[in-house]
Amino acid sequence: MARPGFVLEVDERTPPLLFHYGEGFRLEKLPLGSRVVYPSEPLPGVRDVDALIAHALEHPENCEPLSALLKPGMKLTIAFDDISLPLPQMKTPDIRGRVMEHVLEAAARAGVDDVKIIAALSLHRRMTPAELKRAVGERVYRSFYPESLYNHDAEDRANLTFIGETEQGEEVEINKRAAESDLIVYVNINLVAMDGGHKSVPVGLASYRSVRHHHNVHTMMHSQSYMDPPSSALHHSTVRMGKLLAEHVKIFTIETTLNNDAFGGPAGFLQKREWEWSVRDQASYLATKRFTDRAPAHVKRKVFGKMYSPYGVTGVHAGETGAVHEKTLANVHRQQLVEVDGQADVLVAGLPYVGPYNVNSIMNPILVVCEGLGYFFNMYKGKPLVRPGGVMIMFHPVANEFHQIHHPSYVDFFEEVLAETTDPSAIESKFEQQFATDPWYIHLYRNSYAYHGVHPFYMWYWAAHAMDYLGDVIFVGADRTTVSRLGFRTATTLGDALDMAAETVGSSPRVTAMKCPPLLLSDVR
Amino acid sequence: MKKRGSLLADAKEVARGWRWSHRPLVPKSVELPDVEPHDFPTAWARTSVGRAARTALQAYALKPLIDYEVKPRVEGLDVLQGLRAPVIFIANHSSHLDAPLVLTSLPPAWRDQTATGAAADYFFDVWWRAAATALVFNAFPVERSGGKGRATHLAGEMLNDGWNLLVFPEGTRSKDGWVRAFRMGAARLAVEHAVPVVPVALRGTYQAMPRGAGWPAKGRRPVTVRFGRALRRRDGEAAHEFNQRMRAGLAITLSEDRTTWWDAIRNGKQDAASGPDVARWRRVWEASAPMPVARKAFPQR
Repeated sequence: MARPGFVLEVDERTPPLLFHYGEGFRLEKLPLGSRVVYPSEPLPGVRDVDALIAHALEHPENCEPLSALLKPGMKLTIAFDDISLPLPQMKTPDIRGRVMEHVLEAAARAGVDDVKIIAALSLHRRMTPAELKRAVGERVYRSFYPESLYNHDAEDRANLTFIGETEQGEEVEINKRAAESDLIVYVNINLVAMDGGHKSVPVGLASYRSVRHHHNVHTMMHSQSYMDPPSSALHHSTVRMGKLLAEHVKIFTIETTLNNDAFGGPAGFLQKREWEWSVRDQASYLATKRFTDRAPAHVKRKVFGKMYSPYGVTGVHAGETGAVHEKTLANVHRQQLVEVDGQADVLVAGLPYVGPYNVNSIMNPILVVCEGLGYFFNMYKGKPLVRPGGVMIMFHPVANEFHQIHHPSYVDFFEEVLAETTDPSAIESKFEQQFATDPWYIHLYRNSYAYHGVHPFYMWYWAAHAMDYLGDVIFVGADRTTVSRLGFRTATTLGDALDMAAETVGSSPRVTAMKCPPLLLSDVR
Repeated sequence: MKKRGSLLADAKEVARGWRWSHRPLVPKSVELPDVEPHDFPTAWARTSVGRAARTALQAYALKPLIDYEVKPRVEGLDVLQGLRAPVIFIANHSSHLDAPLVLTSLPPAWRDQTATGAAADYFFDVWWRAAATALVFNAFPVERSGGKGRATHLAGEMLNDGWNLLVFPEGTRSKDGWVRAFRMGAARLAVEHAVPVVPVALRGTYQAMPRGAGWPAKGRRPVTVRFGRALRRRDGEAAHEFNQRMRAGLAITLSEDRTTWWDAIRNGKQDAASGPDVARWRRVWEASAPMPVARKAFPQR
């Protein structure tokens, strides 16, 4: 049985604690009395995943069974979460492919011929054929690629359909094929509480015209946090859009949840509690540390990119989007939610080598900010782990390095936009339109493997709430020039960072650290 | 600043963090509550083979080692005259040196017949440590958490079999060098089995090898082992009353070693063993003051 999450109080018996440090790791001694939030151990995965999927499809939530929705001659569109999920990528068979096989078998039985499978990547980069194959499985890939298995194109005006506006004036525009289908089946992986629900179709298959209504500074400032859908303006907006969409097209949502078993084999020590490290774990750490300290960055990325996670499936639910998502969120909370008593003055986190937007890529400085001040800071329900005006200390080298194919607009965002201002609102009003409509970025998004021109702006908005809330942000062991451009400060060691933090929170701060991996969602009381 | 990037530096960091030279520890906030412990068998260490091996180890390895590392002075052994096994030796406890010092100070006949109480959670956690402790010290596990009479059951059986016991009624090593409150186990045993209790005052062991040290400090620090007058339960005396008298007896023996026999018995009611009621650092400061090297009673001219 998985042991539940808890809050450790650091004492003289506590060994050094492991923190991610980009493509490396650090052992750090936290001050005595610091607290560290540990998530639950991986929940047991379901043994017979196929039976679980079949049961979900035939006993859906608030909806007829899938078999009853499939008719000969109908247009069926299957959309699925793109490569941004899960993190790290899972070992094959990918749960999306397994679910799709069940859906397609049911479609074949029902005599459905017109089937399209679309990677719902919104404004993310296109998935390569190899990545598509990995996600959907060899059988689906061979049967459908390339004619009927392809990436969504948010800039293909001819293949977008305007659905209408919500009562708040939010424009809903999605993929034309999906909009004209008799049934959209959406297959997701709900890794964190932000994913899924009405955020799937109205965002994943949408255009910039539609996405801009919730991916903006105002919405993100009122999403506290966006990992807690009831308190998230982002989710309120997507729910409105999703409900409007549901009036025009039938959506059958299939959501899956995974446990947090992110690292297995020799990397298993990464998610073990440090005081339970065996001699073998200590040796694995030393070997890993040696490798990450010495190996060139591209070699490390290659090795980390090949580390696939042995996730177990903890739930599959299907049916009407809202009803399904309620069950899905309960599963996510069961795995990740940890109750924490009170806020801290200083929040400490180690940022890993991978985030949603640098799979098989480079985590550039803007993505580091999104990872730390966006995702990690927002991994809360209720109140943030750190008090208003507190300090966040993060471990990451923040190298000035960009993937030229995947992130071309990020380079210009860093060089031109951040050189002028780091204020999210100023950036939004002055630069967003220019980047979002730049023909060269649009060309690269559509024909190469580039993120949309506007994407770095969204990454910056993702961090807007944290930037506004925190009194100071310090990166430990980071490139000073790069971090300075981002508008933050650097320290050489954690001790130095705490000294610097004392200027903001005093000399005896309450320190709380987040244990990662695996992922956790704190429920601060 | 910590040097990063070298394998040696990383290995040192891990070695320190996971206490390669000691037992690994669990942070207090995640330590599980008392778990029913696994009993490690120790009867084999009291067989004739075990006794022969122990006699040799104590005489030819432990005692020379103790004599090499510290400068022991043993006083008051005359109190053993007229006593017959079994007795319970109680000693103040501030160092890992304490048990070997007391054992090697005893006359061989007494030593061979003495078993040592050792913390079950500390010395009997892994088989190799348990085996070594049982063999060298004739140790038996003492459950410090108590409960279900486990703490005294085995000890009672051993008294019935005629073994003397060496126990440390404080239950753990002192953190500041002064004598803590006594737990009840030793007093209960003495009362239930009607055996005399011999207080043994240890001085200098805190300076020589305090809690946290892995080996005695350099320089052969002086230590003294003083046996005090045996205490017997009075008629109608309850275990908790006898426990107080045991502690007072040990305090007098300590005081006798620090001053003179006469001063000690005159000030016997003053519990100097607990140390002064001052800030912790001052207690540690005083307790860790170097012991004066004993002078010969009749210096040669």
